[in-house]
Amino acid sequence: MRIIKLSVIVSVVILLTGLSANAQDANTILKKMDDVMYSPKDMTGKTKIVIIDKAGKEKIREADIIQKGNDKRIFRFTAPSSQAGIAVLSLPDDVMYLYMPAFGKERRISSSVKSQNFAGTDFSYDDMEAKPYSEKYTPTLIKTEEGAFVLELIPISPKSSYSRLIAKIHKTNYYPIAMDYYDRGNKKVKEGTYKFVKIGKYWNAQEMFIKDIKKNHTTKMIMSDVKYDSGITDDDFTVRKLKQ
Amino acid sequence: MKRLKIIISSIILLLISINITIAQENDLKLKLSGELLSDQRFLLEDPNDWAWNENRLTLKLNKKLTDNSKFYSEVWLRNIGLPSINSSADLYNKGILDPYNLEVREAYVQLFGFLSKNLDVKIGRQRITWGTADKLNPTDNLNPYDLEDVLDFGRHRGSDAISFDYYFNSDFYLQGAFIPFFQPANMPVGIFANALTPSMEMPMGMTLKDFNDTIQMPRYNLAESSTAGIKFKGFAAGYDFSLSYVWGRDGLPMSTYNTFIPVDAIGGININSELSFYRTHIFGADIAGSIGGAGIWAEAAAFLPENEVIMTNDLSALFLAPPGSVTQDSIMLEKELYIKFVIGMDYNFANGTYLNIQYLHGFMNERGSENLNDYFFAQLDKKFFDDRLKIAPLAGGFIVSDWKDVENNYAVVYIPNISYMATDNAELTLSAALFKGTGDNLFANFNDYNMMMFKLKYSF
Repeated sequence: MRIIKLSVIVSVVILLTGLSANAQDANTILKKMDDVMYSPKDMTGKTKIVIIDKAGKEKIREADIIQKGNDKRIFRFTAPSSQAGIAVLSLPDDVMYLYMPAFGKERRISSSVKSQNFAGTDFSYDDMEAKPYSEKYTPTLIKTEEGAFVLELIPISPKSSYSRLIAKIHKTNYYPIAMDYYDRGNKKVKEGTYKFVKIGKYWNAQEMFIKDIKKNHTTKMIMSDVKYDSGITDDDFTVRKLKQ
Repeated sequence: MKRLKIIISSIILLLISINITIAQENDLKLKLSGELLSDQRFLLEDPNDWAWNENRLTLKLNKKLTDNSKFYSEVWLRNIGLPSINSSADLYNKGILDPYNLEVREAYVQLFGFLSKNLDVKIGRQRITWGTADKLNPTDNLNPYDLEDVLDFGRHRGSDAISFDYYFNSDFYLQGAFIPFFQPANMPVGIFANALTPSMEMPMGMTLKDFNDTIQMPRYNLAESSTAGIKFKGFAAGYDFSLSYVWGRDGLPMSTYNTFIPVDAIGGININSELSFYRTHIFGADIAGSIGGAGIWAEAAAFLPENEVIMTNDLSALFLAPPGSVTQDSIMLEKELYIKFVIGMDYNFANGTYLNIQYLHGFMNERGSENLNDYFFAQLDKKFFDDRLKIAPLAGGFIVSDWKDVENNYAVVYIPNISYMATDNAELTLSAALFKGTGDNLFANFNDYNMMMFKLKYSF
């Protein structure tokens, strides 16, 4: 009986120690991924968004992006003509403004828009948010594959439209390679893949590909003309700039 | 017409002579964009008269002049209304057969960081949009109302003005505008032409035979014709807010002197009326933010007429042997504060449904605290097929002009609509406008104007 008890205690201790090490590893991995994705002070670039419906028909959107840190961003459409000039300013604490040239003034967007698809793409406003993953998710290391860590990410906020994400992270460079999104019913609803290239000292998500499984609908985002750390200031993320 | 042709030719020559490029490669090149819009409406009641015909080409020219300045203009070239051909002579006049007009909506130069890095200045014809509410903005009083299409709520024309924005920091700024020449609102056209004309009750035994009016425009000098406004805008505790003041004139004229002239022995009367635009002070405030994921906003404007508006009826001509001047005065508008306001919210549901609700007290044509009606507007829409199709089954409003007798003082407006993006740049919209009401309110006048509407918009 004593032997059994001791075995149980030892097993529990080993298990707890193992879990703790795993959790720590997972946190470290996720933080390293955040470092890779969000370490530039600022970024400017152009993006081409290719939206492909289930019939294979493509629609193209183009936009200029400027971003500072991970909570200030202006996304300004340049094409197609019907959307050119429409811009979204994202600021900390879910403050977002939409500028529509036809109305000539900015408009506050309610935070309920975060669950909506962004401009007809398969990315939600939430997906587009540049908030570090380690602030939004609790990670667990599920397994280690050849060349990649596989983490399960559980949203911290109960308002998230996802129940969990499965992220495959590059073992050496710590950028995400793929990400699967599960809805509240634990059904896989989206899958994303990423192609990173190094620009200067930073890894850049040059191509992002996301598929909405239910709709059989995909979106590809291709970044170009990317520049990092060009000294963008907070003044570039104001309603004044949004309207220019 | 000759002048119009010269203007159009000049614009075409200008467009040809300047180096227009649609490519966005070079920021300093002139960018041309715009849209082609066809807006067709017909009445539902037999024989389905055409209610509206508008074909509009909007040209937007945008040029970054230097790193700190830009030029922008928006011009409408359009055919609006239906040709009115009355005699064979009209058949010789292309301007009557096929009427087109040209309208410069905006044309301004904007200077960023002018004199101080915190100051932006805009000079030229411009739209100065104030207010946080959705289309219904009681504080938006610097530009004249463009009431041509009364169903296009909140449309204003541009004003020739100088305006500035001074930024104290990223959260607080001051906006000011000066408009040297007063521009009245333009009135509805087509079947809506009489929508804002007040009904006239004649004294017993009198019949109105003819009515003429004369507009008394303010003198074109600084004191009489100018309009000025200032607004402090800020962001604090998660809310955007502003406080504003406008010293201007009401853009809709009020009758101030009516001369009654008998034209026969059985009570026939002609009336010559003088109309003028009264001075008013307008104090405004608005706020916008988010609560529990819903967007919320509120906006209010307190109007204080500079003087009482008095209407004088001159009845002298009705008396064969007048004892002198026979006049009756009545106060049309007291010199006291009245407040128009709007509160609203919107919400995006997880399934893609969008809801927008607003309550408005006091429509754009209403003045005086006793004459302000209550308006409840709502729109519920949902997008389908990758946002290509949008259906708004619930869209419209409920208006009450007297809460003590709602049955006889209400209006219901129902405007369901479906829009479809046929291509990235071509949008088709099909909608209906159904009106039912009675009593003294704008929409109760539209009972006979239930209509179908079709719009095609192509952006380039």
